[in-house]
Amino acid sequence: MWSYSGAGMAEGALAPLLLGWAYLLGVSRLRARGDIWPRGRVVAAVGGLLALAAALLPPLAGHDEEFPVHVVQHLLLGMLAPLLLVLAAPVTLALRTAPPSVRGRLLRVLHGRAARVATAPVTVLVLDVGGLFALYLTPLYALSADSTALHLAVHAHVVASGVLLSWLLVGVDPGPRRPSTLGRLAVLLVAASAHGILAKLLYAHGLPAGAAGDRGLGAQLLYYGGDATEVLLAAAILAQWYLRTGRVAARAARRSPA
Amino acid sequence: MSRHRSAGSGALVGVGIAAFVDETVFHQLLHWHHFYDKSTPAAGLVSDGIFHAFGWIALVAGLFLYADLQRRGGFARGSWWGGLLAGAGGFQLYDGTVQHKLLRLHQIRYDVDLLAYDLAWNVAAVVLLLAGVVLLRRRHG
Repeated sequence: MWSYSGAGMAEGALAPLLLGWAYLLGVSRLRARGDIWPRGRVVAAVGGLLALAAALLPPLAGHDEEFPVHVVQHLLLGMLAPLLLVLAAPVTLALRTAPPSVRGRLLRVLHGRAARVATAPVTVLVLDVGGLFALYLTPLYALSADSTALHLAVHAHVVASGVLLSWLLVGVDPGPRRPSTLGRLAVLLVAASAHGILAKLLYAHGLPAGAAGDRGLGAQLLYYGGDATEVLLAAAILAQWYLRTGRVAARAARRSPA
Repeated sequence: MSRHRSAGSGALVGVGIAAFVDETVFHQLLHWHHFYDKSTPAAGLVSDGIFHAFGWIALVAGLFLYADLQRRGGFARGSWWGGLLAGAGGFQLYDGTVQHKLLRLHQIRYDVDLLAYDLAWNVAAVVLLLAGVVLLRRRHG
């Protein structure tokens, strides 16, 4: 069974610390030249990195061979942290502070073919939902408990697919075209339904195979914890719609005063 | 236009409230409903997953539409309440007939004579639905 060594612990703390340092460095550069960077984005960045750190550090990381602990870890890594990190607009910050050569390369990637394929709703749903189903309904879960490399790869996939889904639904960074508000709600409905179905399948069949700890509790945490983050996602999608339509109406009213 | 939007917002909130009451009162507080019942077929799990997710999204969307109608001054009270009652009744009727009976997701309560519970559940649903439809027709007529 794989457990956290001292070195793993240091790495768990290192990634969020480095990302936080880079983000705050970017913000301080912007502010130094007199630009505005919304405080809400800084709060989102700190919150997202704290969620990452909470998932990667003890006490959670030390007990993630227990299935309920593993589920909480995955809700933090795959849902809450990505939602907050995407709202922190890290790519926009990078574009505004990086040297022109890096900026050019970043823009080429963002508007390239690979980005368009990777952010298509079908791709994102297959990566996110398909990844979860594959992890819990196949022997992958048991295998990842025995191999450090596979364990880390699973974590990385969970974070990356979570970031893609969150960006598709509520992202503020530039990138390929995204669906309308109704389309985003439809994508959320598919992802949320699949989470619920998966959680009940796990509960019904005592899965994942080989998982330690209370599997029924883990399945219920997946069900209700998934609900909580999906409500946050729905609220974020609709809040963006509400603010955007409000701005459009205000602009129209200014142009043609009654 | 704003009457239709008001009815739509109310219906979404109604579906959301019915789903919320089902989850908090019957699953969490009373513990009558079971998270899973051994007789549930796969179709039941799929239906539950979709309607559970739809309930939450509908509640959030309905409340934001409500805020938007208030902001524009297009809120039609009667249509909104009509939509809410119809939405709540419609969801409860679906839950009580298709999900509980046809798909056997779970029953209303266990170790009791179910007939009275099923009747009360579905009659209440029909009353809510009819009250909503009456309110909507009066306002639209």
